[in-house]
Amino acid sequence: MNDAHAAVAADWGGGVSPFGATWQKTMMWIFIITDALLFSGLLSGYGYLRMSGQQTWPSTPEVFSIPFIALMTFILITSSMWMGTAVTAARLGDARKTLNNLILTILGGASFLGCQAYEWTHLIREGARLTSNPWGAPQFGASFFVLTGFHGSHVFSGLVILIVTAIRTAMGKTPAQGVEMAGLYWHFVDLVWVFIFTLFYLLPN
Amino acid sequence: MSDASASNPYSIYRVTWIILLIITVAMLGAEEFHLPRWFLVLFLLAFMAVKAAMIAGNFMHLRHEHRRMSIMVAGGIVVTSLVLLAFITPETRNVKSRTTAPPLPPPAAAHGHAQE
Repeated sequence: MNDAHAAVAADWGGGVSPFGATWQKTMMWIFIITDALLFSGLLSGYGYLRMSGQQTWPSTPEVFSIPFIALMTFILITSSMWMGTAVTAARLGDARKTLNNLILTILGGASFLGCQAYEWTHLIREGARLTSNPWGAPQFGASFFVLTGFHGSHVFSGLVILIVTAIRTAMGKTPAQGVEMAGLYWHFVDLVWVFIFTLFYLLPN
Repeated sequence: MSDASASNPYSIYRVTWIILLIITVAMLGAEEFHLPRWFLVLFLLAFMAVKAAMIAGNFMHLRHEHRRMSIMVAGGIVVTSLVLLAFITPETRNVKSRTTAPPLPPPAAAHGHAQE
């Protein structure tokens, strides 16, 4: 009994770290993988709708302002750079630099959400709905709203996490690992956008 | 690069940021060159993968993590993507062939034609 207990404790008692990371970080990575699977399912569904539809898929440069979408991409990539800087600053114990870069990241994320709100408003005014749109295959509207909506909700929750992290950093309550966890989530949001940007906005018909 | 990152631990983020921007501009400009569609798609997908790898590797520090962690993350996502692609592609073709096939004659007309 004691031997069995010792064997279990050796494997699961926290004394062994098979991934070479803390349990918080490992759990964060597992969460990111499951979230990535959600988005891969959504993107696959979009691919299926686009390839199997009878009607022509709308040409995205005719529907969207691609320079505007490029600006959104620029904002998100730049915010990721600031986030990475904040994580390293937190590890090095530079609280001021951490806070400054967290604030810049928050501003970037808020700008991205503002751009997305503008884009949604613009498309809805032009007649885009979940079930129909003026440009072609009716599945286009559903794909656009679901994909960008899910991504936007992730950006929003990322912003909330970042704001809480920034406030706690200002109060000196967030350890470096807390900033790193927030950073992992924020970079994941950027990562997902890379796929949406390419597969939805850039891929030609 | 290791010397540079030792002297300035933040340089990796700036370098990655610049490369990501260059790749994004290249992807946006690719359509202007009127490349064959298959080549353009391949070009976009390849650069998408490079961008994803750079974000995961440099921003998320995956390349500095334990090898098992990298394998778990990258392997899980790649295998799932391949499985989804394997199921979706044949089914998409199946749906397309069914929806583009010429419509069958209505049952009544077919019956009358047989009587003649």
